[in-house]
Amino acid sequence: MTGLNNKIHQALQQIHAEQALKDKTKAALKQKIQQYEKQKYKTEKRRLVAILACLCLLLIGGAGWFYFTPATTISIDINPSLEVGVNFFDRVVSVESYNDDGQELAASLDIRFMTYAQAIQEILETENITDLLSADEILTISVIGSDEQRCRRILSDIESYTAGQKNIYCYSAASDEVATAHEIGLSYGKYRAFLELQSLDPDITPEELQHMTMREIRDLIDSLSGNKQNENASDTHQGAGNGHGQNSGGGNRRQGR
Amino acid sequence: MRSEQEVNKAIERYADTVRRLCMIYLKNETDTEDIFQTVFLKYVVSSVSFENEEHEKAWLIRVTINACKDVLKRFFRSHTISLNELMEQPEILEPDHTEVLEAVLSLPLKYKDVVYLHYYEGYTAPQISRILRKNVNTVYTLLTRSRQLLKEKLGGDGLE
Repeated sequence: MTGLNNKIHQALQQIHAEQALKDKTKAALKQKIQQYEKQKYKTEKRRLVAILACLCLLLIGGAGWFYFTPATTISIDINPSLEVGVNFFDRVVSVESYNDDGQELAASLDIRFMTYAQAIQEILETENITDLLSADEILTISVIGSDEQRCRRILSDIESYTAGQKNIYCYSAASDEVATAHEIGLSYGKYRAFLELQSLDPDITPEELQHMTMREIRDLIDSLSGNKQNENASDTHQGAGNGHGQNSGGGNRRQGR
Repeated sequence: MRSEQEVNKAIERYADTVRRLCMIYLKNETDTEDIFQTVFLKYVVSSVSFENEEHEKAWLIRVTINACKDVLKRFFRSHTISLNELMEQPEILEPDHTEVLEAVLSLPLKYKDVVYLHYYEGYTAPQISRILRKNVNTVYTLLTRSRQLLKEKLGGDGLE
């Protein structure tokens, strides 16, 4: 080390941090660290609260969406035509109509949040429907959904509720068929009848069916198929009970009793 | 974030280094206290992972120099500390060294850090260039010029 190096080194070597300065720095930093940790804790707490609030909102939103999403649709057609959406808890969450008569009937009903059993009963007991059924009109009830087991259960329940009532036919079908029915502006019960009619008369349009009763449609099918006489005899037979059918939308009908 | 124990250890280990740099750059005690808190707070919150003690020391030196320069810029402080002020703190200096310190403190700002790092800490020019993030040739130039200035101030006797 040169003389200059030595001299500078020795001179600077005399300089030391005073104990008071070190203590003051330590105390100040201790306070700052504590403040920082408190702030960090507060921030984390706030973040946690925000995350929990978001989760709650999501949960509530999800639960609401789940509750209000129909899992199964029950289509009731006699003209009026109604479609009742039923959620996973077997409660009615929507009532849709596909013609003017249906809209009128839907407006007169207060069946939202009832069980589907109560709702069906309420609909079947309306004066309009009882009058139509008394006038030998045909009522079809279709249970539509993607869960086959659930549809079968609901169909079975409806069949038992309607047992003893004449001219009522019950079916179950897959969801994709319903979408097609809605696209052409028909409820599912009428769509089934439309398919049947179309196979006999390709010129028939969905609009023509919209204002026809199920009895009129059935009679038209019978006349076109040339079996009117036979079917009349069959209807007389149905008058003694109700018809129940179940398929995947193919249009088969099975007489119940 | 580093713990209170870690920062206390660092204060014990590097307080003298920080103090010397403060003395070279700053004029008053309040600024020195500020620098101490600033430097060691940066140490607390820094996420730098030090490879060894040398790395840690070099980091602290750089942070201290930058903090001192910031203080000088911010408050338009005098670039030198007067010897009279140093002499007011009798525990700091022995009379034999006052002349040398006066010469160092009277150097222009740009020479002070290289003089301290080279003559006191013993860093080479390439090491200083890494710490100060300056070109190594610039460091050599600064060292040569500062040596000339110091010789002029100290009379050049027995300095080779």
